[in-house]
Amino acid sequence: MISALRLIGLGGAIAYRALFNWTTPAMFVGTLLAGPLFQLLFFAYLGRQLGVADDRFYIVGNAVLAASLACVFGGTMAVANERRYGTLGHVLLSPRSRTVLFLGRALPYAANGLLVAAVTLAGGALLLRLRVPLAALPGLALALAAGSLACAFFGLLLGALGLRFKDVWLVSNVAVAVLLLLTGVNVPAQTLPAGLRAIGSLLPITHAAEAARVLAAGDGLAAAMPSIGRELAVAGAYAVAAATLLRLFEVESRRRATLDTL
Amino acid sequence: MIAVGALLHTKHLSRSVFEITIALVVPVVQASLAVYLFRAGTEPHRMLEAAVGAGLMGVWSSVLFGSGGAIQNQRWQGTLEMLMLAPRPAVLVILPITLATGLTGTYAVAATLLWGWLLYGIPLDFARPLAFAVAVPGCILALGMFGLLLAATFVLMRNANALTNTLEYPIWLVSGMLVPISVLPGWTGPIAAVLPTTWGARAVRQAVTGGAVWPSLGICLAVSVLCLGLGTLALTYVERRARAAATLALA
Repeated sequence: MISALRLIGLGGAIAYRALFNWTTPAMFVGTLLAGPLFQLLFFAYLGRQLGVADDRFYIVGNAVLAASLACVFGGTMAVANERRYGTLGHVLLSPRSRTVLFLGRALPYAANGLLVAAVTLAGGALLLRLRVPLAALPGLALALAAGSLACAFFGLLLGALGLRFKDVWLVSNVAVAVLLLLTGVNVPAQTLPAGLRAIGSLLPITHAAEAARVLAAGDGLAAAMPSIGRELAVAGAYAVAAATLLRLFEVESRRRATLDTL
Repeated sequence: MIAVGALLHTKHLSRSVFEITIALVVPVVQASLAVYLFRAGTEPHRMLEAAVGAGLMGVWSSVLFGSGGAIQNQRWQGTLEMLMLAPRPAVLVILPITLATGLTGTYAVAATLLWGWLLYGIPLDFARPLAFAVAVPGCILALGMFGLLLAATFVLMRNANALTNTLEYPIWLVSGMLVPISVLPGWTGPIAAVLPTTWGARAVRQAVTGGAVWPSLGICLAVSVLCLGLGTLALTYVERRARAAATLALA
């Protein structure tokens, strides 16, 4: 048990430092902190001009979505960069459980996503003068953490595709764009067609954003718990799917001797 | 030479599944987002503007990521030294690459218009179709020239990638591609006024809705020619410095 926890904690932290491309201060600030804040401002001003929703809707929604950049690309890097740097074979030679090894890697990205989301929320609230009730902060942290975790497992799932497909970055870029449209962060869910709404409900962020909006409106944690629960269920589903795909593609790559083929 | 070079690099970029998919899919997602937002909001009659605006956002993304990394990409491909060895000024060799990134961005405009027409039934009734047919290529040419300035200055920065990732949304916002500049804080006005993207977007929007296209397009091209001049100076400096320090091939 301690050994597994060590693999999750220490292994995850080392993998984060080695495989995440955006850890330099300039990349971290530029890509993960400034970028999402500008995205928030863009949609807040667009929403203001079109009269679709108020600033709270966009600030809270985009703050939750901000985690997706770190988590989706991070999760992808956690697997795909092993292959890119030629270290995947060494990792898969290890006799440790793949599930523990790879799922543990999602945790630093989830923590990173939580930090990015919190900074974006604080920055957006300060710039656009949104008052968030102090009592809502613990619940908001929980909602942001749930969203970040779901996104990190979603990213890991996309990273697993990198064991099979040549250009996994294409999939990640498209996935991030799709999250922008379907999670109800920028377009109110009720204005989307039912089909797109259904797809959105299966994606990370959707339920966390709902929960965060409920909390920011001052409705209390109890009102937000069903949405947080749904987000955690989505996170669990992506974790299982990622573990299954990683196992499946590993076996397939060994069988075809294509483990390191780019 | 510029035309042949631009065509060559456009063909080269068009062979990349990544470039083409990103140029087609991401703007279409953004166009869908814009369409749903405009429908939900108070201005559903501005759907064509939304589709065109999303297309221009795609052009800017193409120029920003393509031109911003133009020199670095040649370096990674191992072709930078051969390009610089050519007995032509460096600007004539790099400008076709940045123009090609703008030309690749036309996929985005075409994709968003076609997507809007087919899926959302947005009629393509431009108030000034002829002006639109001139304004879009004019805007793309201007952004290609602006791209040279990005290419030449970004290569000087150690953390150009970070800047590239940061600059996408601010330029969309300040240039008024979807959000009118009038709703932004006043201090953004001077920034918007010196960006060719602002005038290019304005020219294209006026061609869609009706308005004085030519002054906006003229200012867009004038600002871009100025960027081309500055980019040429920067590129000359970069080339001399790289030759003197023997760092042309080093990142």
